[in-house]
Amino acid sequence: MKKTLIAMTSITYAMKAKKLLGSLGFYCEIEKTPKNTGSGCGYSIRVKSHPAVITARLDEYGIPYKNVIQTE
Amino acid sequence: MINFDNSATSFPKPASVARAVSEAVSRFGGNPGRGGHRISGEAAQKVFEVRSQAAEMFGAQVENVAFTQNCTYALNMAIKGIMQSGGHIIISDYEHNAVARPVYALWKMRGVRFSVAKVSDDDDETAANFRELIEKDTKAVVCTLASNVTGRILPYKKIAALCKEHNICFIGDGAQACGVLDVTLADGLDILCTAGHKALYGPTGTGLLISNGRFELSTIIEGGTGTASAQLEQTGTMPERLESGTLGTVGIIGLGEGLRFVRRKTPKAIYAHEMRLCEQFAQLLAQNKRVKIYEPDVRRVPVVAFNIGDMYSEKAAQMLSQKGFALRGGLQCAALAHRTLGTLQQGVVRFSPSVFNEKAQVSALARAIYTMKE
Repeated sequence: MKKTLIAMTSITYAMKAKKLLGSLGFYCEIEKTPKNTGSGCGYSIRVKSHPAVITARLDEYGIPYKNVIQTE
Repeated sequence: MINFDNSATSFPKPASVARAVSEAVSRFGGNPGRGGHRISGEAAQKVFEVRSQAAEMFGAQVENVAFTQNCTYALNMAIKGIMQSGGHIIISDYEHNAVARPVYALWKMRGVRFSVAKVSDDDDETAANFRELIEKDTKAVVCTLASNVTGRILPYKKIAALCKEHNICFIGDGAQACGVLDVTLADGLDILCTAGHKALYGPTGTGLLISNGRFELSTIIEGGTGTASAQLEQTGTMPERLESGTLGTVGIIGLGEGLRFVRRKTPKAIYAHEMRLCEQFAQLLAQNKRVKIYEPDVRRVPVVAFNIGDMYSEKAAQMLSQKGFALRGGLQCAALAHRTLGTLQQGVVRFSPSVFNEKAQVSALARAIYTMKE
């Protein structure tokens, strides 16, 4: 089953995103970004909702992220 | 021994701080932001919670709260981070060496020019003194929010407004103010630097650099941040940009309990308690004709600076130590302020109570001073 990750720019922003999304009722967990996406180690948030819905929320609250990753 | 040297570092700490430190050692031993495993994640979560608390208390975004080793590190990072490419900087004549020395080093090594603004008893005059010194390339104004020698509160909101008007970065040294005054970035500070181990009741080895994000800081320390590791360039993302290397998780978790303690009691109530002790102390000293108190009538944080006759302040502090009282003599690392006060030779003895001191302890100290002979 595919899972959706959103790669974040830092652990602090990953945690800020988790706190925000949790308060808005979205599922969100933090995990290491599974493979090198060009800039080395980092953290992602794993979400169950459609990524566009989540990234819209992150944009709305000014939380930066790198990209959306669909992975097994 | 009774500690009246809380401006240096508060002691004792709240029991909750000691418990949190112990728990941090035994339960949160992972390296925050460095791994994907549970141990790292739990430590990172605790660090984030403390960061969030500090952000709430000082009116910042959580990502703009950086942990440092102490206030001096925070001030160095802020001052050198803004002034790395040169220019002009203004400081007050009450600054601690944590400000004066990095500014001097920048002048000596990088040609940064600096001016020292005179602090007056009239707040408008003080602000005007800062205004007069602004030059075309003035990049930063650094000023202590409250003097670590006499406790004098500087008109930092007025100075902040002046900086905003001229698009100058205003860096506040909150080492003596945070925890007893309701300091927030909303006061006009661009960067607030403070100690975690003084009136915020955290362990030693903790400090904070809190920014409003208006001015990007060049780094003076680079290294591993747990992010963007493939790049040689230091990450631009705050707070990791300023937090190279493994964080002092144990101290940070302890600081979190210190912040909780202060917020529960409120800075206003802590200030009121400590000022009552200062007033009591000043009244008792007033009966002793040999004692001189410095700046007794200025608006201040809870500190009393005094001397006993012509006795060198270090000697007086040593004698008090032998009688069971911890006070700080000498220059308190603030030669600039002592030059302003005219006490460079004698120094002063500094009385700085904490929330844990009581009136009976103050009376005992005053009695001890009364019986001291040169």
